[in-house]
Amino acid sequence: MTGAMPGVAPMGVPPGAFLVVATLLFAIGLAGVLLKRNALSIFLSIELMMNAVNLLFLTYARMHGDLSGQMIVFFVIAVAAAEAAVGLAIFVALFRTHRTLDVDKAALLKW
Amino acid sequence: MKQLWLIPLLPLAGFLLNGLVALLFASARAENERGHDQPKARLPYAQRLFHGVVGVGSVGLAAVLSFAAVVPYTLSSMASPEGLPPVVQNVYTWITAGAYTVDVAFRLDPLSALMLSFVTLVGTLIHVYSVGYMQEEEGYGRYFSFLNLFMFAMLTLVLADNLPFLFVGWEGVGLCSYLLIGYYYDKDFPAAAGKKAFIANRVGDFGMVLGIFGVFALFGRGDFSFVELAKHQVLAGDAPLGVYAVCLLLFLGACGKSAQFPLYVWLPDAMAGPTPVSALIHAATMVTAGVYLVARCSTLFVLAPDALTLVAWIGAGTAIFAATIGLAQNDIKKVLAYSTVSQLGYMFLACGVGAFSAGIFHVFTHAFFKACLFLGSGSVIMSMHHEQDMRKMGALSRRIPQTFWTMLVSTLAIAGVFPLAGFFSKDMILGSAAASGHWALYAVGLFTAGLTAFYMFRIVSMTFFGTARGHSESAHESPATMTVPLWILAACAAVAGFAGVPAALGGSDRIARFLDASVAHPEIHEMSRGLEISLMLLSLGVAVTGLVWAWRWYGKASGPAGAVSPEAEAFFGKTGALGRLVADKWNVDEGIEALVLSPFRKIGTFLWRGFDALFIDGIANASAFLVELLGDLLRFFTTGHVRNYALAFTLGFAALVAYVWMS
Amino acid sequence: MPAWSGELVVFGFASALALVFALLMVVVKTPVRSVLSLIATFFGLSVLAILLAAPFIAALQIFVYAGAILVLFLFVIMLLNLREEAAEKDDRPVQRTLGLLVALALGGLLAGATLRAPVPPRGVPTRASIPVPDEIPALGRLLFSDYLFAFEVLSLILLVAAVGALLLSKRRFE
Repeated sequence: MTGAMPGVAPMGVPPGAFLVVATLLFAIGLAGVLLKRNALSIFLSIELMMNAVNLLFLTYARMHGDLSGQMIVFFVIAVAAAEAAVGLAIFVALFRTHRTLDVDKAALLKW
Repeated sequence: MKQLWLIPLLPLAGFLLNGLVALLFASARAENERGHDQPKARLPYAQRLFHGVVGVGSVGLAAVLSFAAVVPYTLSSMASPEGLPPVVQNVYTWITAGAYTVDVAFRLDPLSALMLSFVTLVGTLIHVYSVGYMQEEEGYGRYFSFLNLFMFAMLTLVLADNLPFLFVGWEGVGLCSYLLIGYYYDKDFPAAAGKKAFIANRVGDFGMVLGIFGVFALFGRGDFSFVELAKHQVLAGDAPLGVYAVCLLLFLGACGKSAQFPLYVWLPDAMAGPTPVSALIHAATMVTAGVYLVARCSTLFVLAPDALTLVAWIGAGTAIFAATIGLAQNDIKKVLAYSTVSQLGYMFLACGVGAFSAGIFHVFTHAFFKACLFLGSGSVIMSMHHEQDMRKMGALSRRIPQTFWTMLVSTLAIAGVFPLAGFFSKDMILGSAAASGHWALYAVGLFTAGLTAFYMFRIVSMTFFGTARGHSESAHESPATMTVPLWILAACAAVAGFAGVPAALGGSDRIARFLDASVAHPEIHEMSRGLEISLMLLSLGVAVTGLVWAWRWYGKASGPAGAVSPEAEAFFGKTGALGRLVADKWNVDEGIEALVLSPFRKIGTFLWRGFDALFIDGIANASAFLVELLGDLLRFFTTGHVRNYALAFTLGFAALVAYVWMS
Repeated sequence: MPAWSGELVVFGFASALALVFALLMVVVKTPVRSVLSLIATFFGLSVLAILLAAPFIAALQIFVYAGAILVLFLFVIMLLNLREEAAEKDDRPVQRTLGLLVALALGGLLAGATLRAPVPPRGVPTRASIPVPDEIPALGRLLFSDYLFAFEVLSLILLVAAVGALLLSKRRFE
């Protein structure tokens, strides 16, 4: 994968590097999801994971010279915004009743 | 006549009719008329009439038909020099399996003709007797239906042309024996006695079935033409192992049915049934089926001389063994039961020495006097208000004269007093034993004859002579329905012997010649006339000795109440341990319990507790336990924490990625 | 080893920025600091986007993501007055260790997997091909032709989200 295509300048940076970075960011985000107790922090980690995926999409778009990847990223960002709004509203509502955003306290479905 | 099949069919119809009516009218009335705890009442007259007419009528008609068939056959058979061939009527092809065929077929030949004649005659008389005897019973209908069923089975047995069909009758009489012994089913002992009879029979039946298989295997057929084949196939003394095995197996079946040692234990207990049942089934007919079987297969037995010797010795051993027990029993029916076992032993003794016709002749005479004795004892019991212990009887000879005289005649007959029936048949047996050189068997038989005379006259003396004990004062004679059969049977017991007057006394040995066509008659050395007459006198002397001895000990007016015979007490005291053993029936029942039943029970208990409860239930419980355990383990994954679920999620995803990577 | 170039340097800086601050975001305890770290990460990602010939996306990333979403996060944090994450004893050690391990493992696995994934051959350049430097008009054309339906639905989603958020955060008594 050279990133070269007719009519477009070849990529100066090897695309593999982008992929690795994106994957690492994804892994870091995942670690955050699994390790953090605060619901907001978990949400932030999820956002990071989504961004890592965005980076992947962009990389592939550049590799194939296809703008569809960028379109997808566009939509992802928009939807992420909507999702963040709703999610935070939920957290606010939860906080009002439970006075805490600690995920470990929400263990009512225990056996 | 052309319809032999009608003869068993009539009692079968009687069974169905009686049974139906008994069932229909039983439960309705029982709940209405009496409360739960009140004693059972007799049936209404109309119903009793119906049961009696159907019961007696069906058997009576069968008897008439039998004689219509038997008499012409017998007459023409005796007219022709070598006898008539058997009449076989094939009604229906029952089983066809490969090379083997079994038909529903009836056979009339000298042997079955003889059996048929006394079975139907005695059967009818006992049915008539039962009308009077069982009047007060609520189960009157049930009784007659079972009795009819029994006659059906017995007639099937006697008329069957092949072994499997005979076995149908064989099993049928066993079943009816169980049903009728357990007639008083609401009491423990009769029910248990019924079971004991059936199970002991079953042990014999096991041998019988294997024997039938053996016959099929050896000869390829089960009908009695195999006896002809047997004659031609193998020479005497050279019989292969198969024939020996079959003979022994069939004899095992006969032992079960005819109560030989050690399968006799059911017969004394069978006395728990009504007395007419004891008379019919356990004296005259069913128990003789074993002898009949051996006589039927006589040609087969002749090919296996050692098996025959075994038969003779078991017969003789049982005869003396049962006689000793009979000496010490106090229940009138029990003595008669042991006497039956003993006489059956005589019959097998006869067959064992090769004199099959002598055995059958004894079956014939025994049926009459034993039935008479049993029915007479029933009459005594009824007059004594259901008392069966002889120590509580006495001096009844004037109070129930008809019973007394008929029982006296029958007792003399069984003791072997000339010219009553028992003399001729017993003499034929002992004479054959002596003639064939089995002097040891002769000695045993002779001694047993003495014992027989003794204990039989003991019954008569304790019951009819001496002082009146118990309820004897208030005893009264039985009704005509009971006494008339007694007289008829006594008359038969008196004259039946003349069918077989031996040549030594001027007779023509008619019965032996008559039976020759259907039973084997191996060569028996002729005895000199003088020797024969001396032996007869000897046995007569032994019999009279026994009679007189019994009269001296038991017949005199005794002293204080309670001690029936001081001489007997003294003698018993001197016998010590042996006497106690005899009084305890040689502890055979206890022996069987310890050697056979107890181990089986232990095995069963082990299989139940150890194997079934522990092992199989354990497996079921263990699987439930495992499932529970698994559930408990898996429960830990349901923590309720979202992060754990996320972790599980991720793990799965990682595994997936790894898998994709690997492939 | 590709030739030393400006692109490479910029890439290096931007990715280092992104990675470091991402790690920081996971590590720090205060929610506010997490958010701020994430904003820095996004800046890095933006630069990477520019490097990937997606300037529109890069701008979007700053305006919408860093500028709106994360600011919303900050608002909520302030609203709820969340303190530093309570230093309670973590009674889920298994979760922590296992989670860490799994995340690391997965990171490695995914990296390897993506690197090994075969690249399909290039097709004929289509309307979606990136013409440099007229990328943004091309994007616009694409949006209103092939992705029109998605675009309209997106607006609906945003509407629903707004209404939903409003409803959810209302107080009981009304």
